Amino acid sequence: MHYRLKRKVREVKIEIRGDNRMNREKEILDLAAQAGNVLLENGAEIFRVEETMNRISQYYGIKNSDFFVMSSGIFLTAEDNGGQMYAKVKHIPINAVHLDRIAAVNQLSREIEEGQHTVEEAGTHLEKIAAMKGKSDITRILFSGLGAGCFCYLSGGTLWDGLAAFAAGLLLYCFIIWTEKREKEISRIVIHITGGFLATFFSVVFFLLGFGTNLSSIVIGSIMPLLPGVSFTNSIRDLANRDYIAGSIRMIDALLVCFGIALGVGLMYILYHKATGGMPI
Amino acid sequence: MTETIISQFIAAGIGTIAFSVLFFVPRKYYLICGIIGGTGWLICCLCNQYLCLSIEASTFWAAAFVVICSRIGAFAKKCPVTLFLISGIFPLVPGTGIYQTIYHMIMGETDLSSLYARQTIGIAVAIVLGIIFVFEIPQKFLQKKKPEN
Repeated sequence: MHYRLKRKVREVKIEIRGDNRMNREKEILDLAAQAGNVLLENGAEIFRVEETMNRISQYYGIKNSDFFVMSSGIFLTAEDNGGQMYAKVKHIPINAVHLDRIAAVNQLSREIEEGQHTVEEAGTHLEKIAAMKGKSDITRILFSGLGAGCFCYLSGGTLWDGLAAFAAGLLLYCFIIWTEKREKEISRIVIHITGGFLATFFSVVFFLLGFGTNLSSIVIGSIMPLLPGVSFTNSIRDLANRDYIAGSIRMIDALLVCFGIALGVGLMYILYHKATGGMPI
Repeated sequence: MTETIISQFIAAGIGTIAFSVLFFVPRKYYLICGIIGGTGWLICCLCNQYLCLSIEASTFWAAAFVVICSRIGAFAKKCPVTLFLISGIFPLVPGTGIYQTIYHMIMGETDLSSLYARQTIGIAVAIVLGIIFVFEIPQKFLQKKKPEN
């Protein structure tokens, strides 16, 4: 079995080496598109995606290529000397942010430019990067709580408020991870409305149980993990780089998330008021 | 007073590190992220309290500082500037403003609500300006030496 596999690999390698130029060009462009895919999917700015794709294809000697990158897709065409065209369109859904993958692709493109990788090696590297596991769920839940607690303290809460926000942040992130695990994707708007609602709900519960004295700070802390810091920052940088389409789409995303959170918080407060008969918060 | 400053710095730093974990920043950059985020928040607080600047102006200077530090960090560590920028800017994102706006709206205090809404937008614009301007100016300095980042 092992032997057969080895032979197969060797055959494939020979096949690749022996192929004509167009195939090699196709491979290079596939590599570039894959690199762009990983970058865009994990929250890189548009110009970084374009630059990386350009660097990879130029290093491997492709001259007539054009890339067009939008926030949800990559379009690329190339023409060889014989006039043969190659085109590719890749659709990329908006996904969770994985900054470690962006750093890894950046490192890879540096190494490619230094001549450390062949096209095939770079391809396998890229596959590894795309499958890179981040942190475990428990770590993320814990750090979400920690962040919520810290920001609760920063917004004027006491230590007890911070503890309440810590607990609320933990529970909130359990919900977010549950939505990530679900097979059917939930709309981002729904996630953030529910998230805002739940964060406020947990805060109110801990507040009523006697943890903390300052409900506002607890809620501010516990909604922090939902805030659209990434979309906001990226949209500004895209707009500044004249990638208006991507920039405005990301800005809309950030605004929708903000409205969603606000709506969730508001709904919970209205319910709370109705339930307690207008008790001041 | 010094104690408050130190505890605020530590809380902002730990908060920034916590969010850089959520964004999957590689472990070796945690400390830099934390220091950038903590110092950014501190600058915002100090400008607001001691220099008597408005919250928007303080946020602008803090954002500018965060972007400069992120650029320097990215240059020194040879990694994308996004890593430090997204985590470092997080303490400045106006979560409080969003909350206060909706809270006063629910309470029926329209005046306060619109005041906070205006402030939230002001802070967001301050961050935007901070990022845009700082990315414009030193890019030319850095590009002469090295075209990366």
